[in-house]
Amino acid sequence: MDTNEVISITKPEALVNDIDSDVEMSDIEDIETPKDNSNTFKSSIVTPGELVTDDPIWMKGHGTYFLEDKTFSSVAGNISRVNRLLSVIPLKGRYQPETGDHIVGRITEVANKRWKVDIGTKQDAVLMLGSVNLPGGVLRRKSESDELQMRNFLKEGDLLNAEVQTIFNNGIASLHTRSLKYGKLRNGIFLKVPSSLVIKSKNHSYDLPGNVSVVLGVNGYIWLYKTVAKSNSAANTSITSNTSKFQASVDSSGSYAPGQGSISITRLEEESSWEIYSDKNDPNISNSVRTNITRYNNVLKALSYCELGITEQRIIMGYEASLAYSNIGSLIDKEAMESICQDIINNEKMRGA
Amino acid sequence: MELYSPEGLRLDGRRWNEIRNFECRINTHPNSSDGSSYIEQGNTKVICMVQGPMEPTLRSQANANKATIEVNLAVANFSTLERKKRSKSEKRMVEMKTTLERTFEQSVMCNLYPRTVIQIDLHVLSQDGGLLAGLTNAITLALIDAGVAMYDYVAAITAGLHDQSPLLDLNGLEELDMSTLTIGVIGKSEKLSLLMLEDKIPLDRLESVLAIAIAGSHKIRDLMDNEVRRHGNIRSSKLVNN
Repeated sequence: MDTNEVISITKPEALVNDIDSDVEMSDIEDIETPKDNSNTFKSSIVTPGELVTDDPIWMKGHGTYFLEDKTFSSVAGNISRVNRLLSVIPLKGRYQPETGDHIVGRITEVANKRWKVDIGTKQDAVLMLGSVNLPGGVLRRKSESDELQMRNFLKEGDLLNAEVQTIFNNGIASLHTRSLKYGKLRNGIFLKVPSSLVIKSKNHSYDLPGNVSVVLGVNGYIWLYKTVAKSNSAANTSITSNTSKFQASVDSSGSYAPGQGSISITRLEEESSWEIYSDKNDPNISNSVRTNITRYNNVLKALSYCELGITEQRIIMGYEASLAYSNIGSLIDKEAMESICQDIINNEKMRGA
Repeated sequence: MELYSPEGLRLDGRRWNEIRNFECRINTHPNSSDGSSYIEQGNTKVICMVQGPMEPTLRSQANANKATIEVNLAVANFSTLERKKRSKSEKRMVEMKTTLERTFEQSVMCNLYPRTVIQIDLHVLSQDGGLLAGLTNAITLALIDAGVAMYDYVAAITAGLHDQSPLLDLNGLEELDMSTLTIGVIGKSEKLSLLMLEDKIPLDRLESVLAIAIAGSHKIRDLMDNEVRRHGNIRSSKLVNN
């Protein structure tokens, strides 16, 4: 008996080709053919267990393993070469934090002098008490009483945006919110998309048409919210409210309450009052803003459904395309999502992008 | 009932070395999981979803050296001809879960993901023989889709012995009437990471059964690899456009 023969009947290949005619299929057939010349890597993807190179000159990076002088791939993805370092970047996977990433996260645990934050990584990130702005200004020492009332600042389930400060040796990310653009999130809606779809750029928070702003976390967590009024008027109102509070705090109790009544010198100190940790939403969010937020929410869902990379421009184009649909709920129908994405792609082609 | 006719045809008209129709898809549930897959091996149909590596919900699941693999197996009431309620604590199910956990602890590079848990949820929609093999193949595809580092594919298939002749990829009826061997092969090698034999096969016949099963697994691996590449090429072509 010839045991190496296995009969299998599958669907005709032509059908498969028909579905994705825009993809080159030429490399599909050559599986595990070690190339003589290891410098010319295949342009297509590699899969786990595939021989990447048998040249021991390469250093093995992420996504590879080394056995008997040969380097194999351990994930399905594209080969990347940086000098002598050979690694395979997976097509998909959990978000890998990098220093400087602007991310959106959710508090999962309040621990000793730190918060644990779910940012979609393998292990929860930490936000140290020392790396947040507390009421009373930046240059204030964190006291024991701050430690005790950590839950008053941020508690389990709260959403915040932050920046990755460092990555520890064990891969856990450490966050900080030491800037006015970071901190607790209010007045909006949370949305999750695959992190591979968010394209890294200089800025990750945008003001969109329709009085809506977005924080597009690099980790694929997105926050859509009502645009806050411009700082000029905001500063004026808060100064007046601060002075009145100052009087109030002196009147009611002689005790010192950090940040609550102190007169601030800089804008940072002033805005890092208790208000930045308030749980109250803005009471005057108009219906039109609410519907715009949901519209953007569904546009982003459509982008992620079609696996299009998400950029500010595409969100706006998607929003404009979605205006053809008066019923926002119908935007998440399969046909609507596909037509919106088609519109975006056509629009980009016309602009020559 | 004649399981294997003198002309060399089986109940469903297959030859002794013919596998059933094998279909697979990956990334079937992109929003609800990190990696997902769906496979059909004949009439055995399985959905698999992988979450993680992620922070464990229980402290006890965290291992400082490697990832913990947790398999949850749900068999639908309607998966067999006779509708039947199944409990998760059934002995067979618990055994299958442990077998799968141990198989994948070997092939996944668990040491890369310390203090995390990889949760694998399996849903059996329909069963017609070769359940363990189907589950193994579904998990392999879902783990690849999730971007979890693995040494190689684990491709599994069943084989049985009828009289003197080995039969590849048994269906439900055949499985009832002969001893069934399930193996999981690592990639294109002849190394086994899974071997399950619940009844007896004569030792002098075992080799021929194993040989055809290994060849069948290699075929399954190729079919799964085609799907991974097909999906991967579509995906990477989309990302290039950005």
